Amino acid sequence: MPDVPKNVAASASTVAIPLSRRSKGEEERDLVRLAQNGTEAAFEELIRRHQQRVFALVGSILRRREDVEDVAQQVFLKVFISIKRFDLRSAFSTWLYKITVNECWDYLRKKKVRPLVYEADLSEEQVSRLDGIVSADRPVTGASEQAEIKETLDWMLAKLPEQDQQLLILKEMEGFSVQELAEVLGLNVNTVKVRLFRARSRLMDVYRRRTSPGTKPGAHSASAERKR
Amino acid sequence: MDRKYESPACKGYEALLEDSVSGEIGGSDAVRLSEHLKSCPGCREAREHVAPSSRLLRLAEASADPGPGFARDVMARIRTDKDVRVERGFWQPLVSMGWRFAATATVALALLVAYDTTSHVQQPAQETATLEAARIPDVFSPDPARVPSSRDEVLMMVAENEHGKH
Repeated sequence: MPDVPKNVAASASTVAIPLSRRSKGEEERDLVRLAQNGTEAAFEELIRRHQQRVFALVGSILRRREDVEDVAQQVFLKVFISIKRFDLRSAFSTWLYKITVNECWDYLRKKKVRPLVYEADLSEEQVSRLDGIVSADRPVTGASEQAEIKETLDWMLAKLPEQDQQLLILKEMEGFSVQELAEVLGLNVNTVKVRLFRARSRLMDVYRRRTSPGTKPGAHSASAERKR
Repeated sequence: MDRKYESPACKGYEALLEDSVSGEIGGSDAVRLSEHLKSCPGCREAREHVAPSSRLLRLAEASADPGPGFARDVMARIRTDKDVRVERGFWQPLVSMGWRFAATATVALALLVAYDTTSHVQQPAQETATLEAARIPDVFSPDPARVPSSRDEVLMMVAENEHGKH
């Protein structure tokens, strides 16, 4: 089985699915059907396939590593309980991501947790380093620089509305497509694109405000004023 | 939130601008946007403003894969957690309540039947005992209908009554 990933092949031998001749979608439907009939190996394989995206989705909403794992576990337990009711009319991933988003909002509501807020401002050094990387278009080198960039980006994202943060993280950092975002958030594809564009604009406002202290927030909207 | 948003871009072109910034535009949409950009400084400015955002955001790494340990942990929890294994549907509380009622009703019915049976069995025995008692003459109790014929008999009856009281 040359095209089959190692973990899929391993579990396929347990759940006895001829994976080599199937498309990924069909393969997943088979796994779902087997899981619905109580095959635990099939359910474990579904977890393996989707765990990273579920972590990314939970992380984009909660932003706390320790909570992320608990909530992700809870998501898969809920999926296990209700998988028999999943009718296979939509993709399994769409159904799973909707459960994930709902579980996150439930968690935040129950725990009354506020989103992560960065009280401290960025240092001039951090700002200029980030600006240097972006303007010179050079790659990030080393773990410490990566950690610093992440901290700076988290700081900037925290200045945005929650929905903007979620959209930007999922699209640019985690690689969700616009179509997937529309399904997960229950929005129209065009609406997602418009919201993404506006979120980018707000992020760049925050970025320019820090990297060019002379620039006023929303300075690019001078033309908007002219239009009116 | 969006009400406060001020963008120099034309509202009808924001989705196309997003496609352009994320590099997902092509065909007739690309031609349409490029024609529009030639005549719209607002949209040109908006696109320039957001252009570095992809590069900026992609500097951060995607979240790490939790690894095979995570799937194993979830499966272990599923195997041990009885609440998870028993599927609890919408009707489950009503069904379990129904079973409780049925069990209580069965016990009550059984008690009633048992009581009814025992009472039917005991009734003829009591009647027989009364009839038997009627046939045996009571030699110890004084006959209330009998009238004493002498003074001695009167004294005997008084003495017996006094003895019965003590």
